[in-house]
Amino acid sequence: MVRIKNRYIAVQIVPYAPKKTLGLKDHILAKCILQNVEKHYGVYGLGVVEQGFRVKYCNERTKIAVIRCVHRGQRFVSSMLPLITLIGDVRAKFRTLYIGATIIQCNKFIIKHQKQFLDRFMGQVESAKERQDLFKRVMELDMDR
Amino acid sequence: MTDSQYLDVKLKLRDTETVVLTPGYLSGGILNSLESLFGEIGGRTSLDIVKFSAAERRLILRVPQEFVERARIAVTLIGHYQEVPCHFQVLKTSKKQLDFDDVGL
Repeated sequence: MVRIKNRYIAVQIVPYAPKKTLGLKDHILAKCILQNVEKHYGVYGLGVVEQGFRVKYCNERTKIAVIRCVHRGQRFVSSMLPLITLIGDVRAKFRTLYIGATIIQCNKFIIKHQKQFLDRFMGQVESAKERQDLFKRVMELDMDR
Repeated sequence: MTDSQYLDVKLKLRDTETVVLTPGYLSGGILNSLESLFGEIGGRTSLDIVKFSAAERRLILRVPQEFVERARIAVTLIGHYQEVPCHFQVLKTSKKQLDFDDVGL
């Protein structure tokens, strides 16, 4: 049996103008990344990356996404992410947070990252209900795609 | 120049009457093919036409050693020259400078 190696890239989407939600769907994100791979690495690069490529998780509120790609196509994707300035029709850029070999490791990192975010912003929220809401929104991790 | 390689390439056209053969057009076609196959980052290289013969439809290309594989792929996969179906045949590759009378193919 041959095992297929994947890489999971956790990215943060940083919009040019601050927004609460981005209105970005998975397929828009995937299309944008693949288009840019084709632009910078040509038909060959697209062929390497396309197989096994998937946006596994995309949280509009926390602006964090997890991209899956095959091991040998990882460098094509990760080297091209900083060059993107337009996602769909939103002016934004990618910040690569973490690259892991399993989605569990990626998940662990995101949870740690979100906890740090909560530590910073919990103090600014006044009522307990708002705090609960913020916690719920930030820690929303639904990865069954 | 030890870090570059020479390719002896022959252009085979279906219709030889309607095309204009110039080194500029040829290198443009090869660079276009490189860019569509390997993109803006992967397809950038310095490509020189060292020798060119319009009568024989042959040219000698000089490419850096690390780009030989890509240049050869791009040259092989060209299917049209000035909208005329064609193909390129790589007759010989060498690390030393090539000349037309080396191969009698």
